[in-house]
Amino acid sequence: MKILVVEDEAKISEYLRQGLTEAGFVVDLARNGLDGHHLAMTGTYDLIILDVLLPDVDGWRILQALRETGSKVPVLFLTARDSVDDRVKGLELGADDYLVKPFAFAELLARVRTLLRRGAVPATETTLRVADLELDLLRRRVTRAGQRIPLTAKEFALLELLIRHHEEVLPRSLIASQVWDMNFDSDTNVIDVAIRRLRAKIDDAFTPKLIHTVRGMGYMLDASGEA
Amino acid sequence: MLRVRLERLLRRPFSLALRLTLLFGVTAAIVFPVFGWVISQSMEHHFVTQDTDELKVIVHAVEEVLSDIRGTDDPDQLAQRLDDILVGHHNASLYIATQDNRTLFASPAPDLSNIIKTAEWDTSGESVHRWHDAGTSYTIMVKSMDGREPITDQPFILAVAVPFDDHQHFLAAFRRTLWLMIASSIIVMGLMGWVAVRQGHAPLHDIVARIRRISANELNARLPPEGVPHELRDLAVAFNDMLQRVDAAFHQLSNFNADIAHELRTPVTNLMTQTQVVLSRARTIDEYREILYSNMEEYERMAQMVGDMLFLSQTDNRSRIEHVERLDLVDEVRALFDYYEGWAEERGVALELEGTATITGDRLMLRRALGNLLSNAIRHTPAGGIVRVIITTSDGDGTHIVVENPGSEIPPEHLPKLFDRFYRVDASRQRGGGDDGIGLGLAIAKSIITAHGGEVSVASTAGMTSFRITLPAPDRDRTEN
Repeated sequence: MKILVVEDEAKISEYLRQGLTEAGFVVDLARNGLDGHHLAMTGTYDLIILDVLLPDVDGWRILQALRETGSKVPVLFLTARDSVDDRVKGLELGADDYLVKPFAFAELLARVRTLLRRGAVPATETTLRVADLELDLLRRRVTRAGQRIPLTAKEFALLELLIRHHEEVLPRSLIASQVWDMNFDSDTNVIDVAIRRLRAKIDDAFTPKLIHTVRGMGYMLDASGEA
Repeated sequence: MLRVRLERLLRRPFSLALRLTLLFGVTAAIVFPVFGWVISQSMEHHFVTQDTDELKVIVHAVEEVLSDIRGTDDPDQLAQRLDDILVGHHNASLYIATQDNRTLFASPAPDLSNIIKTAEWDTSGESVHRWHDAGTSYTIMVKSMDGREPITDQPFILAVAVPFDDHQHFLAAFRRTLWLMIASSIIVMGLMGWVAVRQGHAPLHDIVARIRRISANELNARLPPEGVPHELRDLAVAFNDMLQRVDAAFHQLSNFNADIAHELRTPVTNLMTQTQVVLSRARTIDEYREILYSNMEEYERMAQMVGDMLFLSQTDNRSRIEHVERLDLVDEVRALFDYYEGWAEERGVALELEGTATITGDRLMLRRALGNLLSNAIRHTPAGGIVRVIITTSDGDGTHIVVENPGSEIPPEHLPKLFDRFYRVDASRQRGGGDDGIGLGLAIAKSIITAHGGEVSVASTAGMTSFRITLPAPDRDRTEN
């Protein structure tokens, strides 16, 4: 998977390159709009991460040029301020997602993976499976090692999110937003409690443990039992 | 260069002094000449009336003499008596002639014999005419009379004249003085206007000087509304109000700085010390990882705090809510219950909702405000307690949302400060770990509610703490936006 990062801030672009490379992606880095424009138009990428505030050619023009050629490559743009106008403009110009700076790397990674998966996974999928855990999406039923586990609707949604993003670290804010539609940082440990309760149902009586806590970052569902 | 300056001068509205000076000048230039014209007309009219009366008296006297001397046949006596009449009337002259212009009597100059040749006179002896002869103008009255002895047996004409020149000279001189006075009055009025405006503006300059003296350090200074003229009272009051707001904002800002500095100092110091200790000698990889994790948690806390502070300052400075939509409060509260349910259950706290209402507002913001109040209530409820959200709507004053929880009473002296940033009732638990929050939740809730034109208050009695949100009725809210 090849990702183009167009970002002029040295520190951010460097840790994006490092982080994404370590996450298993091939990363091309453009430090200015002109290079970014050139690479975006000539190279073949699976995803482009675009800072819209560039000193020369701004991100909007790159995005516009890209869409005018009919390219459907997913674009995730980074906006500096919490400006609604920017978000609307970006999405109207054909971007697929955005992140407001500053952002947590785990959040970026989660969104990148979601965008890359979009279209790749058949939508007709009715069963999700990790190790001996099985989610029947139609009947809303969960079994582990052949044993039915009753879950509440929110627990089911949480588990589905974790399975769909298995082997990815999900930040608490992303979980709150995706499962409960709560788009603010709560100063409570609501997510920890929810995970704990989910663990009690699907992990406590079984091995291997599937849900892992990644300290300082969030939670991850992983069948390999590491981390 | 000059053109540019001139254009700049013209583009800007004329000064008040110039406007008022012109206004006074134009008014005077209209009023005074009209006034002057009326005066000179009435003067002239007065002279004409005076002359007419005089001429009538003479004509009357002449008629009397003529009828009186009937029977006597002494032309000399007649002439003598006619002369006598004229003596009392300065410069008056008399002329009597037959229709065919035969002079019967003529006082010395002027020569009135030409009168008869002009036949268009009104000869009723009632009206006066202006008559010019030999460079002098006269007021003249003509009367035709039946023939009578001893003067003549034919009808004859009687003409009496008084010179008008004196009047005319007087009038001309009078008009000259009048116009001179009018002209100087106009100038004086304009100047007076200018001076009055300058003088009238003195309180304004005074206010400007006062305002100029107010520096950032003395924003508590106010203009005395009693010390300025009535018209400037509103200005002074409005300015004071603005100063009040600026003062409040300024204080808030400096408090904000102090707060954030204070709140950041402790974690930053901790991070530094911790890192220094770890770096003081070689450690295992696990120990390094541990310190990085520990730092990470601290960073996260700081990041959240800074984010919250930023949100607060944005909300406080927001003049209006941008994304207004209709919200079913029951749906919103149920969603929040869903979110906090597990956490509350673990603490042995139950959640209950009463009432329904529909409101308008920014969904994300209101969710956050309600969520903060709810999490605060859950946090302070002892196990086995119930947190209640009670929604009521009254036509008069909008929607009320009460979030109440049982728990230890908050001492009344803390209540007004509860919504302040970083305020904690228990000062000793300054930076409690994990679940204690960072002391901004209630401040954010208040800020959001205020931005929606609502109010939030708190009461704590008899083991029950209740937060009450009042939101304006949707319709009123919409018209306000």
